[in-house]
Amino acid sequence: MNTIPVIINDKKLDVDPGKTILEVCRENDIEMLTMCHLKGVMDIGACRLCLVEVEGANKLMSACTTRVNANMIVRTATDKIKRYQRITTELFFAERNHVCSVCVANGKCELQQLGYKVELDHIRYPHLFPQCEVDTSHPWYVMDHNRCIMCTRCVRVCTEVEGAHNWDVMNRGHQVRIISDFNTPWGESITCTSCGKCLHACPTGAIWPKAIVQGQLEKKPEMLSELMEKRKMKL
Amino acid sequence: MNRHDLKTIIYAEKTKEENNKYRHKICVCCGASCISSGSEEVMKKLQEEIKTRGLENEVEVVPTGCMGPCNQGPLMKFLPEYNIYQKIDCSNISAIVQSQLTEKKPIEDLLLFADSREKPFLDAQEDPFFKKQMKIALRNCGHINPERIEDYLVHNGYQALDKVLFEMSPEEVIAEIKQSRLRGRGGAGYPTGFKWETVYKYVSDQKYVICNGDEGDPGAFMDRSVLEGNPHRVLEGMAIAGYAVGASKGYAYIRGEYPLAIKRFELAIKQARKMGLLGNNILGTSFSFDIEVRIGAGAFVCGEETALIASIEGKRGTPRPRPPFPAESGLWGKPTLINNVESFAAISPIINNGGEWYSEIGTPKSAGTKVFALAGKIKYSGLIEVPMGTTLREIVFDIGGGMQNDADFKAAQTGGPSGGCIPAEHLDVKMDYESLVSLGSIMGSGGLIIMDKSSDMVDVARYFMEFCMDESCGKCVPCRVGTRMMHDLLQKICDNKGTQIDLNRLEELAVYVKETSLCGLGGSAPNPLLSTLRHFRQEYENRIVKHD
Amino acid sequence: MNKKKLATVWLGGCSGCHMSLLDIDERILDVAKLADIVKSPVVDGKEMPPVDIALVEGAITSDEHYREILHIRKQAKTLIAFGDCAVMTNVTGMRNYFHLKDVFDTAYRNAISNDQEGKVPDHPSLLKLNEKVVPLQEVVKVDFVIPGCPPDADAIFYVLFEFLHDRFPNLSKAKKLKYG
Repeated sequence: MNTIPVIINDKKLDVDPGKTILEVCRENDIEMLTMCHLKGVMDIGACRLCLVEVEGANKLMSACTTRVNANMIVRTATDKIKRYQRITTELFFAERNHVCSVCVANGKCELQQLGYKVELDHIRYPHLFPQCEVDTSHPWYVMDHNRCIMCTRCVRVCTEVEGAHNWDVMNRGHQVRIISDFNTPWGESITCTSCGKCLHACPTGAIWPKAIVQGQLEKKPEMLSELMEKRKMKL
Repeated sequence: MNRHDLKTIIYAEKTKEENNKYRHKICVCCGASCISSGSEEVMKKLQEEIKTRGLENEVEVVPTGCMGPCNQGPLMKFLPEYNIYQKIDCSNISAIVQSQLTEKKPIEDLLLFADSREKPFLDAQEDPFFKKQMKIALRNCGHINPERIEDYLVHNGYQALDKVLFEMSPEEVIAEIKQSRLRGRGGAGYPTGFKWETVYKYVSDQKYVICNGDEGDPGAFMDRSVLEGNPHRVLEGMAIAGYAVGASKGYAYIRGEYPLAIKRFELAIKQARKMGLLGNNILGTSFSFDIEVRIGAGAFVCGEETALIASIEGKRGTPRPRPPFPAESGLWGKPTLINNVESFAAISPIINNGGEWYSEIGTPKSAGTKVFALAGKIKYSGLIEVPMGTTLREIVFDIGGGMQNDADFKAAQTGGPSGGCIPAEHLDVKMDYESLVSLGSIMGSGGLIIMDKSSDMVDVARYFMEFCMDESCGKCVPCRVGTRMMHDLLQKICDNKGTQIDLNRLEELAVYVKETSLCGLGGSAPNPLLSTLRHFRQEYENRIVKHD
Repeated sequence: MNKKKLATVWLGGCSGCHMSLLDIDERILDVAKLADIVKSPVVDGKEMPPVDIALVEGAITSDEHYREILHIRKQAKTLIAFGDCAVMTNVTGMRNYFHLKDVFDTAYRNAISNDQEGKVPDHPSLLKLNEKVVPLQEVVKVDFVIPGCPPDADAIFYVLFEFLHDRFPNLSKAKKLKYG
């Protein structure tokens, strides 16, 4: 297979064309922060954590949605990008009600990990403290909007992997919410197959099984990626 | 219908006009703003009056699109004298008709701007409001009945389409548009010819043309007026674009808040189909093109091209990262051309008069004319079209008649919530893409809000931030949370509770949101804040709490 | 070397951070070598004297806390927000999603344990709750933060030890950053 040369952080790499900058970075052990990216489902470039500087581009590009071009010069984790990643993380924390100490995902949460990675010890912006619902109508699972970061990984997994499209998004701006069917309680959904894939897709403690308490959540997001890989192989 | 039939119809209509069947033509503005001040009533009353006087065969009464000075409505225009009457009251109609048609002299006190100028101009074309303008996109607006395709045909309508279909290759059309140096009138100012060429070059079994009429800026109504006043012009532009790029299907995305524009555009489509100007084998050629109207559901973000495409596809109207640009992969993954209403309205004059003619208007980098929606604390607000490079001073003081109550000019907001303000010291700025950018503002789609000393610039920034906060689609973090944070901080400063730290955070967030947002909405949301900070920093400083 | 003065304060928190402070176990002796603990919930001493380091646990929830933190800021050279509540309101801030009145009604009027009509306590000597709970940094300048619910004893000792040696700690570099 033909490869094309790209330069990432002053290092020349020969890569397969058609790959995204994110894929190339991950394959070459260049650390990339992501939140909305989940291997196996479509990338939407929404969390803005994987932004990179591309020479010649007049704006920062999201690595997950930008494909590599021959002789592309890319810089990741420059001072500016690091600063922006930190602000993004702060905004994530300030937006909804993330109380780690009472969260089922405590210690296993991608948002927590992200905070540690960007060396965030406090949030400079005032917390918004929105009133969010906790949907416990499903017999096995809980959807806690307080901990949702609107990465829409659950939406994409439900649509693309399970094919049920139980989840979607409603409203605009800071009032966006993940909804089940047409905003019905999850337990009354006619599309949900109760497969539990969204639990594993969720990076935080927003979706979790009822039988657990603080810090007990186990997630296997890589399971979903493997599932998609296997499906491709079958095809 | 083929080419010959069309020529026959145009000939018949022109003969009718030239035979001077009517001695007089009275145009009544039936644009949305004149209708809201009662022009439909005026129209009815006028027709009755003409009938009572038995003048039906001498006087033609025409409902038209926007004439321009919207805050003086309802407006009524007598041709060929070009006497315009303003603020028509149904009780005056009889007297006006008597004086104008029987005594052959206008009632000066009721003429346009009679209450604000020392002496009104009898021929309104001599009034600075009109004299300083140059109407290309709005050429027939206010003269023709937008609901009659024949009216448009008489005024050179569909001649450009005829010309491109029979005399020009798609390449030649694109070359002509490139030569005109027309730039996208939606705000970003991307060269239209290059966009067309890009779409043309992609090979695909299906391509699309989209007209972006989702005009959402507060205080902007250029697209509405064009669609209401001369829908066929836009339709013709779209068909020409379809021919040039090789598309057979067009979508006009018009916001749901413009019911009249939608009605008239749909009517125009129906009429054009009937005449064979849309549909299969247009004018007997092998070119087929049809247009469908899609109605926006009230989301500002759907003015962003990728969100608009998602909305047409029936999905949630959220933008997606570019590349790929719509020219490569747009509607249903096919190459798609998206232009603004006003850009399409400029196409047929360019084809008819040549790209060179258009390129000589305006400034070297920004050719042609631009429609602005004048609003705010200005004497004559309304719809104007001026050559690019006209100074702000000319627009405000010559065309707009100066400030209300002769107050001091403080600032003009261009580009709505995505733009910035221009302070008094830059009144002589030329209104073109580059000059506005150098002042930290943008041309935008053409909203021009004039403010006097009573406007508080911090509050202006807060207002626009609130707008962006509410209209953010909520997909990407910087725009969804960042606009909310900036709004809260601005509110705090407006409430006189802000501190220097808040101001610093505000500035940091503004740059962050601008640089990291997914689409143009977030990318430009901090603009009003940044530009008021740049030109009116003192107002912020005065508001913040000083610690000892 | 002059011995430094250390204070620990308990505002709107659960005292878990102080428990964690005690979890530094025998290392308290190392701290005691370098500093006198002049005010703390675990020692006597009601007034807040001028100190070098003040560890403040908990968020600002009431008028009393507000006055107190302003006073502490004046008295302390280095003010450390101690634990998640002080840093980002944490559990204390969970009442911020609701109106204060609803919170009171839920606790005093509509509580299931109420066997008669409940009454919200309003004795003048009681502190007045603020409408919203805020973290320390929204009221005063904070010099350093130790997040965690509670912070690990190791992290607490590390931070104290560094400050007592006039060094500026870095939790990330020391791999001791933790929330929750």
